[in-house]
Amino acid sequence: MRQQGDFLHVLKEHGYGSETIMQPAFGQSVINPAELTTGTTVFAMKYADGVLVAGDRRATAGNVVMYDRTDKVLEIDRYSVMAIAGVPATAFEMARVLEHSFKYYRRSQLQDLSFEGKLRALSTLLKNNAPAALAGTGTVVPVFAGYDALEGCGKIFFYDILGAEFEAVEYAVSGSGSSTIRGILYYMNRWGDGPVAGLNEEDALIFVLRLMTSAAEFDSATGGVDAQAQLYPIVKRVSAEGVRTIPADRLKTLFSEKVLNHV
Amino acid sequence: MYEEPYRWIEAVENRRNYLDDQFMQGNPLIGVSFAQGILLLTFNRGTDKIYEIYDRIALGGMGHPADLEKLRYTMLDMAHVEGFQRSPADVTAARLMKNGLAPVVKQAFEEIYKAPYIIKVLLAEVGPTQERDRLFSINYDGMFEEQREFVVMAASSSIREILLKEWKPQGPSSSLKDALELSLRLWGIASVLQSAAPSSDTGEEDVKTDVLAPSSSEPTIPDDEAIASRIRETLAQETLECVLLDRETGRMETYRTLSQSELQPLIPQEFVPAKQQ
Repeated sequence: MRQQGDFLHVLKEHGYGSETIMQPAFGQSVINPAELTTGTTVFAMKYADGVLVAGDRRATAGNVVMYDRTDKVLEIDRYSVMAIAGVPATAFEMARVLEHSFKYYRRSQLQDLSFEGKLRALSTLLKNNAPAALAGTGTVVPVFAGYDALEGCGKIFFYDILGAEFEAVEYAVSGSGSSTIRGILYYMNRWGDGPVAGLNEEDALIFVLRLMTSAAEFDSATGGVDAQAQLYPIVKRVSAEGVRTIPADRLKTLFSEKVLNHV
Repeated sequence: MYEEPYRWIEAVENRRNYLDDQFMQGNPLIGVSFAQGILLLTFNRGTDKIYEIYDRIALGGMGHPADLEKLRYTMLDMAHVEGFQRSPADVTAARLMKNGLAPVVKQAFEEIYKAPYIIKVLLAEVGPTQERDRLFSINYDGMFEEQREFVVMAASSSIREILLKEWKPQGPSSSLKDALELSLRLWGIASVLQSAAPSSDTGEEDVKTDVLAPSSSEPTIPDDEAIASRIRETLAQETLECVLLDRETGRMETYRTLSQSELQPLIPQEFVPAKQQ
């Protein structure tokens, strides 16, 4: 008997997943991984009211900027967000599978999928994708953040390309620009004015914008903030009330007052 | 013994009689399109009868819970696979009904060696505007109808004709309270008529001549007190189940079950059971 409420299984019954373009044979790299779009900076960090998840807007292929309005912070359902780094084709597809899986589970089983169950679902997708990840054509390294209704708190998880799942205590980062951010977060938590997790929403948002600007400074594949083109990172807030996108206007004000002109 | 055509027709006729009896005890289900969305209303004795199928689509059922569950899964699978592989915009109640539900139900009904589905199903799809709301009902034999303003599912499909006389168009200023009041009243009428009729749906012609619609006179709507007392009795004994497909949420998902505390203030005073007044 099939596992109840398993959307991936339903999809497979309808022929999904038999496509082979994402899974070239081992040792035969059809595409030079450098030509794939992988560069990015995404991160999630806890703050006083929950979790903020942010991502830059740039999509690159090698040293070519492909697109400047990518949304890498994807709302999977009302209480969870996935920030993606890696090959967009696979990453967006995973997000869509997850979104439909959670909906399908809730509607068929008449109860919400638990937070644990959601994590497991993402882990399974990554594991199934391992051959493509190892071949370099389907690498996805996501950060997953959500509100755990059972425990009443926001949580952050990050994954390796094979689907191993790790819980982040304070923050998680992914993508080519992430090492800069990781360094700053470590420094701030250790020698800053206090743990980042204690910041209020406004201070946390300012911090997010500064982190993104720093990442863009040292990583050509990270878009950072382009105030001239009105391009701000996508920032989403996850809390007991669900997922909310921080409006670009608010980021604009904070950026010009506290990032650009701040000494 | 069913090789001969007339035997087969006879078997199908027996099936109709058998199925019609199954629905006599069932609770009617009402769907009303109004300004804010679509309201679906029924009563239940513990098991819910209204379910979410997709972002803008809900299903209501009457009949055997196991059959309903099976068809609900068929609808869910169809809707989600389509929504995933194409787009949520391509998932419509019309397609689910015409390509998904109707052929399955009709086939089961006519395969006289197998058990039919003991169900009547309602599909409601809320549109971006009231003009684009769609309501479908399907009978156990696979016959389905498409409506725009309201739909009723009851033991006899002829009840809709009678309820049409009571129908008040829900214009752009109609509120949830208006829609609930009207739905409750329609439910009450359907329920009283249903229990007054000894049999129903025994063929196209018979429907017109049964107790619901005596050939001598126009079908009569029960008096207000009979309707109110039926609603009061049912409210006291069963659970009012209301779902709103809310076009004004601003989200992809529109389905919301109205809680008892939300419903209480909306129920007209004359329908509230005595001990709760």
